[in-house]
Amino acid sequence: MSVTRREFLKTCAVGTAAISLPEALDWETALASTAATPDPIYRSLMAVALDTATKLGATYADMRICRYHVQDVFLRTQTDLRTGNVVNVPRVNESERFGFGVRVLADGAWGFAASPRVEKEEVARVAREAVAVAKTNAALERRPVQLASVKPSEALWRTPFRKDPFAVSVREKIDFLQAINNEVRAVPKLFVVNSSLRARSEHKFFASTDGSYIEQYLQQIIPEYEATAVDFQTRTRRERSYGVPAVTGGWEHVEQARMLENARRVGEECVEHLSAPPVTPGTKDLVILPSNLSLTIHESIGHGTELDRALGYEANFAGTSHLTPDKLGKFRMGSDLVNIVGDRTLAGGLSTCGFDDEGVPTLRFDIIRRGTFVGYQTTRDQAHLIGDQESHACCYADSYDSIPFQRIPNVWLLPGSEPMTLDDLISGVDDGVLIDGLGSWSIDQQRYNFQFGGDAFWEIKGGKKGKMISRVAYQARADEFWRACDGIADSRFWENQGLTGDGKGQPPQTNAMSHGCAPARFRQINVLLTD
Amino acid sequence: MLTRDECRALTEKIIKLAKAEEVAVSVNSTQNCNTRYANNAVTTAGFTSDLSLNIQLTREKRTGAVTANELTDAALERAVRQAETIADLAPPNPEYVEPLGPQTYPDIQAYHEESARARSAQILPAVRSVVEAAEKKQVNSYGYYDVTAEARAIANQLGLFGYHRSTWADYSVTARTLDGKGSGWAQDGAPRVSQVNAQRVASTAIQKCLDSWNPKQLEPGKYTVILEPAALQEMLQFLAFSLGARAADEGRSFLSKKGGGNLLGEKLFGENVSLRSDPFDPRVPGSPWSGGGGFFFGGGGGDWLPAEKTTWVEKGVVRNLIYDRYWAQKNEKKPTPFPPNLIMDGGPATRNDLVASTERGLLVTRFWYIRFLQPQTVQLTGLTRDGLFYIEKGKIKHPVMNFRFNESTVNVLNNIEAMTAAVPVGTDLLPTVKVREFNFSSLSDAV
Repeated sequence: MSVTRREFLKTCAVGTAAISLPEALDWETALASTAATPDPIYRSLMAVALDTATKLGATYADMRICRYHVQDVFLRTQTDLRTGNVVNVPRVNESERFGFGVRVLADGAWGFAASPRVEKEEVARVAREAVAVAKTNAALERRPVQLASVKPSEALWRTPFRKDPFAVSVREKIDFLQAINNEVRAVPKLFVVNSSLRARSEHKFFASTDGSYIEQYLQQIIPEYEATAVDFQTRTRRERSYGVPAVTGGWEHVEQARMLENARRVGEECVEHLSAPPVTPGTKDLVILPSNLSLTIHESIGHGTELDRALGYEANFAGTSHLTPDKLGKFRMGSDLVNIVGDRTLAGGLSTCGFDDEGVPTLRFDIIRRGTFVGYQTTRDQAHLIGDQESHACCYADSYDSIPFQRIPNVWLLPGSEPMTLDDLISGVDDGVLIDGLGSWSIDQQRYNFQFGGDAFWEIKGGKKGKMISRVAYQARADEFWRACDGIADSRFWENQGLTGDGKGQPPQTNAMSHGCAPARFRQINVLLTD
Repeated sequence: MLTRDECRALTEKIIKLAKAEEVAVSVNSTQNCNTRYANNAVTTAGFTSDLSLNIQLTREKRTGAVTANELTDAALERAVRQAETIADLAPPNPEYVEPLGPQTYPDIQAYHEESARARSAQILPAVRSVVEAAEKKQVNSYGYYDVTAEARAIANQLGLFGYHRSTWADYSVTARTLDGKGSGWAQDGAPRVSQVNAQRVASTAIQKCLDSWNPKQLEPGKYTVILEPAALQEMLQFLAFSLGARAADEGRSFLSKKGGGNLLGEKLFGENVSLRSDPFDPRVPGSPWSGGGGFFFGGGGGDWLPAEKTTWVEKGVVRNLIYDRYWAQKNEKKPTPFPPNLIMDGGPATRNDLVASTERGLLVTRFWYIRFLQPQTVQLTGLTRDGLFYIEKGKIKHPVMNFRFNESTVNVLNNIEAMTAAVPVGTDLLPTVKVREFNFSSLSDAV
């Protein structure tokens, strides 16, 4: 199946045409070919798995052969308390993992097996194992698994990037981090700086008994640094990070991220935070910057609108959701300004790809439309449970030996449709707090009650940004919080923030996705003094 | 899983490829059998095997680390050469520590063939028994049964070699009423599959679910609480993360002394609090060698020192901090490993005694989503979950809507009034404790 740019745009959510959107993904470049790489070895191995499973009674089977490549370069720069000297401690790790997983439906139940030995006999053994698992557990299957239809695809899809981050030398990366650390450390009283660059790729081959054969090369780049300041007399410590959004892309993202240019400011704000006066708790207006609001979106909307949670599949671990299917299309989850989409086609999104891990072409879909909850994240085996004919392509496995299941895609807040700057948002606040960066975060198992911190806070008085303050957390019920949103900055202020390390499932799996947003204002939220 | 001989041959081959340079190798070979279910029906299940090989090669204090999982000669050669390339490009590590020579590791019996042989068919009866018990009581059950078998090996060019196998079976169950107004949870884990008591897990989760139906609302505030072992464990884990000597010495933890230094030897908790680690306890066995060290904890890499019992807190006094080899060397201390488990000496009370002695309080089954609010005071936030009950005049009266708490583990360990004997909870041994003045800060509608 060929996916053209025009068809891709057709899948975009309706009702947003008037809004200036973030940079569009170069889909034609990403979809490098409508025919997958004709790798005869992989094709024959996949045929072994699918044939073996089918002959043993599987009604559906798929196989993923995956190679994961991760390179981490870290640099810690700190003062040796005994000598007063500055020390630079490097660490460089490179990891490659290769293996395959086979998933089958037999007697109406799922079975899965996996191995790191990508060899013909092992593939056949693993396929047999997967069928045996399915048939054993079919005894406790109450409702046979039903898969939403999907057109078979033959395609090659690659993350668009200009400069391969793995091709940039370790020496250049260390030098880059050293320059940042030196700049942060130049701030008096700054104690330690941790900086890192992670490049991660997934090279995946997928085949299914539906007739799909898909090759994808996905590449993430994750730059970070964090400053720590310590006051030994007051036994206080503060951290401050630079909110470089992690993305799918290449080294060019690091070059454009202005990491060095922001280093001095980050260090200065970290030290200033150390002696900043505590917040006066109470009900206040909040202006929240994207580096903080992204996690609030993740926890309250991202997890709250996962269909597997709503159906109870996660009840024994991550929890369920207050957004049950009876609320779909009816429940007021936010103010009229709040439009949130699920979108694995977003340029640079950490979960952006051409196809999900069960071969469904990715798309963009509405989750919150003008404040109303209208859509779930779904997979093929869930769609029919809410009357949908097609999956929203939210299936992902974090490794070849992990069972693919529903994970959060890029879930992002559309920018305001009217011209609105950050200053405009602040000018409308008489008594409030401006919040930046990530701090403490916690939310209940049905996604009602959350409490979030940050790593920098400023008082807002009489419509002006004032002095830095400390020890701030905001606590709210998720739906009341989003209904209190009365201003979202326009697309000039929209940032594609990314999160890594999202955990879910048993056995636990991690996931990365982006939660783009513009600064937004929330009225009369409970602000706490944290310690 | 790889045998001892296979691991020895593999590590020797890698050390040889590294041409007698400084090289440390660790091997991790695992298999996992799991079944997950929801709404009284299986959702996913799998049987997987995996392998991971870590090579850490050092030249003149410059280290390159490579992780791989392909064992062909060509792949191993490639991995070693890549580690060399990185080492050549990396700057020297000023916190470098000389590698350990050969060690004598204790023999810890943690491997059981019955667990290593477990497949879906062996797990299914335990799953079925819970599902049937739930259906009989007209509630939904949600559970996860996981059996892991693991073989690990470590080696270096100086002749150090260690091999260890272990198994662990873990079963957790959540039961929920059909209307979603009640939820209960229970868990059991052990090295042997046959030691996991599925019936007890089922009956506890289902009873908690039924008892927690239709909770009443209480006002947030300070309450006496009875924390069951799972709830205590979740708070104590954050204390274990905070036991590092380096963070304390550098002013970054609750164990930092005002003006500099640490609080080792100071009485920071109640007289009735003693905490230790014991990798040899057969109920919660640890590894024969320690991990620990690491980049953010202070460098020095994997420590690989022989495991030993450690007392962390004795009658409220801090007796040991975690020293990795670098920080220990720098401060002329003996290295202390990261705790493989946490064991808290309990008391003579029964759970019923704790309830009967409570005039007004809350019984907490477990917590959820705990995060640091302030590491300097081990101030945490989190929520109650799966069974919160109001106690009045020595009796459990009714279920209560869940609360968020903002509270410090240090305060909790200073406010313990009584406790039961310790029991296994996950890989720790902990009691049920009665704690005064526990701070609940807001209400949660979650069930």
